[in-house]
Amino acid sequence: MPVILTVDDSPSMRKMVSFTLTGAGYQVVEAVDGVDAFEKAQLQNFDLVLTDQNMPRLDGLGLTRKLREHPNFKTTPILVLTTESSDLMKQAGRAAGATGWLVKPFDPVRLIEVIKKVVK
Amino acid sequence: MADVHQEGSGSGADFDLSQFYQIFFEEAGENLDQMEQMLLNLNLETADDEELNGIFRCAHSIKGGAATFGFSDVAELTHKMESLLDKLRRHELQPTSEMVDVLLESADASRALLACHQSGTVGQGPATGALVQRIRSFVEGGTPSPNVAVPAVAAPAAAVVASVQPVQATVSTPEAAPTGSASGVARQLLIRLSKLDHAAQADAIAELFRDIPGLGEIKPVVAPDVASDERVFEVQTSSSNDDLLDLFAFHVSREQVSIQEVTPVDAGAPASAGATVAVEPAAYGFFDGAPGAPQPHTAGPATTVRPADVVKGSVAKAANAGAVQPEAATIRVAISKVDQLINLVGELVITQAMLAQNSRALDPAVYQQLLTGLSDLDRNTRDLQESVMSIRMIPMSVVFSRFPRMLRDLANKLGKKVEFVTQGEATELDKGLVEKITDPLTHLVRNSCDHGIELPADRIKAGKPEAGTITLSAAHQGGSIVIEVRDDGKGMSREKILAKARERGMDVSDQLTDSEVWQLIFAPGFSTAEVVTDVSGRGVGMDVVKRNITALNGTVDIESAEGYGMCVSVRLPLTLAIMDGMSVGVGNEVYILPLSSVVESFQVRSDAVSTVGQDSQLVKVRDEFMPVIELEKVFQVPRFDTDKTSDMMVVIEADGSRVVLLVDELLGQQQVVVKNLESNYRKVPNVSGATILGDGKVALILDTGALVRRSRH
Repeated sequence: MPVILTVDDSPSMRKMVSFTLTGAGYQVVEAVDGVDAFEKAQLQNFDLVLTDQNMPRLDGLGLTRKLREHPNFKTTPILVLTTESSDLMKQAGRAAGATGWLVKPFDPVRLIEVIKKVVK
Repeated sequence: MADVHQEGSGSGADFDLSQFYQIFFEEAGENLDQMEQMLLNLNLETADDEELNGIFRCAHSIKGGAATFGFSDVAELTHKMESLLDKLRRHELQPTSEMVDVLLESADASRALLACHQSGTVGQGPATGALVQRIRSFVEGGTPSPNVAVPAVAAPAAAVVASVQPVQATVSTPEAAPTGSASGVARQLLIRLSKLDHAAQADAIAELFRDIPGLGEIKPVVAPDVASDERVFEVQTSSSNDDLLDLFAFHVSREQVSIQEVTPVDAGAPASAGATVAVEPAAYGFFDGAPGAPQPHTAGPATTVRPADVVKGSVAKAANAGAVQPEAATIRVAISKVDQLINLVGELVITQAMLAQNSRALDPAVYQQLLTGLSDLDRNTRDLQESVMSIRMIPMSVVFSRFPRMLRDLANKLGKKVEFVTQGEATELDKGLVEKITDPLTHLVRNSCDHGIELPADRIKAGKPEAGTITLSAAHQGGSIVIEVRDDGKGMSREKILAKARERGMDVSDQLTDSEVWQLIFAPGFSTAEVVTDVSGRGVGMDVVKRNITALNGTVDIESAEGYGMCVSVRLPLTLAIMDGMSVGVGNEVYILPLSSVVESFQVRSDAVSTVGQDSQLVKVRDEFMPVIELEKVFQVPRFDTDKTSDMMVVIEADGSRVVLLVDELLGQQQVVVKNLESNYRKVPNVSGATILGDGKVALILDTGALVRRSRH
C-alpha cells in the first residue's frame, strides 16, 4: 500500500486529505508543518509528499528543498498544495524541486486523480 | 454584485465534507483568537515580519478552510483580509490603527458568520459588504493605480476571437514569449467566465487585477446574453492569454474561461475567426522533468476516477483511517466527565483515609505486606488525585486574553491611552474558578481604565507618562492564587471616601486605617455612577465583585496611593474540591484547618499570653504580638474533662494578618474532600465547609479568613 506524507498546519485540511487518501487506498502519515514532516521523513520512506505551502516554522518550499537534499527523497514525487496566486510561487516550486502543484481549495476527486499520475 | 451562494461545497460534491466542519470551526475559532491577539499586540511603528506573517497565516488558513468547506461568505471576507495583510507583510502598506480596527471587526464578523454556519442559521450573520469595502479602500489606497488609458470598447458583436492554444500543463515563464500577443502590448479583451459554482469566484478574478500592480484593468460587463452562472469582464492588459489563464487557474478551472480579443490596440495580432477554444483545466500541474513527475504521455487529466468508487472506498476505509493517523496532541472531553472523575477520586481519597486510619492499630510485624500495600495506595491515590485535578486546571491566559481587546475599545472610547501588561499568564487555576473569576476581573480591569487612568493631558500635567499602565498578574502563593489588577492612575482619596461614607449614613471614624477605608467601597450601594466622578472613581458594583469573590472562598484587598495608582488583589484557593488540611482536636471535636494558611504550631507557655481588655488575649511570638482565638469559645465546644485546657497554639495567616488559634491537640495532616456545608445544611459562621473523616465522622473546615477578621473587631 503506497504511503503518503501529508503536511498541513490546519487540522481540518489534514483530516480531510487523510480521509480522502485513505478512502482511495493509500496509507497516510500526517505532519503539522515542515519541521515535523522532515523529522517524519527521517524515519520512513514515502511514496508521495503532499504539502501545504504556507505553514509556520518551515513552509512547503522549504520542506521540498530539504527533502531533495535527503538521499531517500531525490526522486519522490512532492506536490505542493497552494492557494498562493502567483506564477512566481510556481517558479519557486520548480526551483525548489517540487514535482507539481495543486490549487487549494481542491476537489477530493481531482486530488486522487493527480496522485494516481505520480504514485504507481 | 456578490450574490454569494450560501452553502454547499464548492468542490468534491460527492464527498460529504460536513464531517470535517466541526474540526474546521474549532480551528477557525482558534485562528481568529490568535489573529485578534496578534493584532492587539501589533506595534504599528515597528511591526516585524514575523508578527505580520503570523497574522497573515491565520487569515490565510481560515480562508483556505472556508473555501474548501464551501463557506463562501467567510472565504470572501477572509480573502479580503488576507489581501490587506499580504500588502502589510510585503511592506507595500504601512499598518495603521484604522487597519487594525477594520481587521478586528472583520475577525468578529467572520466569527459571527462561522457561528451561523455552525448553528445552521445561515443568512442571519452580519452583513460584510461595508467591511469588504473598507478593506478594499485600504488595499487600493496603497496601490499605485495603473494610469493606462482605456480606449473605447467596441461592441461585443464586432469582437474578434483570438485563438487560444491549448496549454501544456507546465509552468510558463514570463520571460519565455508565450502564445497569443507578445507581452508588453496593451490589448483589449473580453473574458467570459461560465459554469461558475459561486459568483464570488468571478469577483476573485477581478480582485487579481486590483492585487497585482501592472496587470491591467478590469471592468464587469452587463451583457444581455449573460446567463446566471456566467460573468463577463472587459479587460485591458498587456499580459498574454497564457499568463492570464495561469493566474485565473487559482480561482476557476480553465474550461470555465474563454478569452476574446476585442480591438487589438496594436492592431498587429492576426484576426483568426472561430469559436472560443476551451482549454485544459489547470487546477494542478507538474513541472517538466521534475523528480517524480509523470511521463509526458500521461500528462493531463486522462485518468478519471469515478466519484462513486471513491466514496464507496472511503466509507469502507474510514474505519481504518484511525490506525494510520498519528495521535492527536489533545482531546476534547465534556467537563461533566472530568467532574465525575473528580468526584470519584474524592470518594477514593476518603476510602483511602479510612483504610489508613483503621490500619494504624495493626501490628506492623504481622501485617507488613498489608501496610506496605496501604502506603502504596496512599501514594498512588495522591498522584491520581493530582493528575485528575490538573485536567481541570487551565492557564490564566484564557481569562487574560480577553482584556487587551476590551481595554483597547474602552480606552479609545474614553480618549485615554492605556498600556496593558500581563504577568504570570501560565499560572493555572481550576476551570470552575476561572469561569467565575472572569466577570469580577473584567469589572476590576474596566474600573481601572474608566476611573483609575487619567486623560493623557492630566497625566502629563501630573508628570506621568502619557499612556497609563494597567498590569494584570497572577501568581501561586501557597495553596492560593493571587491575581492583581494594578494601575498607575490617580488612586483613591481617603478623605473623599470617608466623606462619602458619612453622606451615606455609614458609621465611620477618622481613626480607620487606610486599608479599612478602602474596604468601605465594597459596602453595598456605597458607590453609584455620580459618585464615581466625584470620588476617584472606584465603586461601581464593587460590592458585587466582593460578593462573587467571597463566594469562591477568596478575598479582595486594596492598596492605593492617591496620585500614584492602586492595586486590587484577589486571592483564591486553587481548587474547591480537595485540599490539604491539618486536623486539630478541641474537646471531642475535630476541626480542619487549610494547611495553606497554617504557619506554625507550638506549645503554649502561660507567661507568653497576656490579657488585654475584656476577652482579648495577645501572645508574643518572636517579638510579634498576635491576637489569640480560643476555638473552644468560638464554637462553644462542650467539655466534659473540665481540668483540660487548650494548650497548643497554631499560627494561621489569612488576609495578610496572623492570629493564633488555641486548640487541645494536633491530630495530623491529611487531604480532605471539601463538601459544601451551605448546600447540605446552612451557612455557619467561621466555617467554610465540612468533610468526612477516615472514621466516618464529619469534621468542620474552618474559614481562617473569617477567624482573622473576627480578631480585628
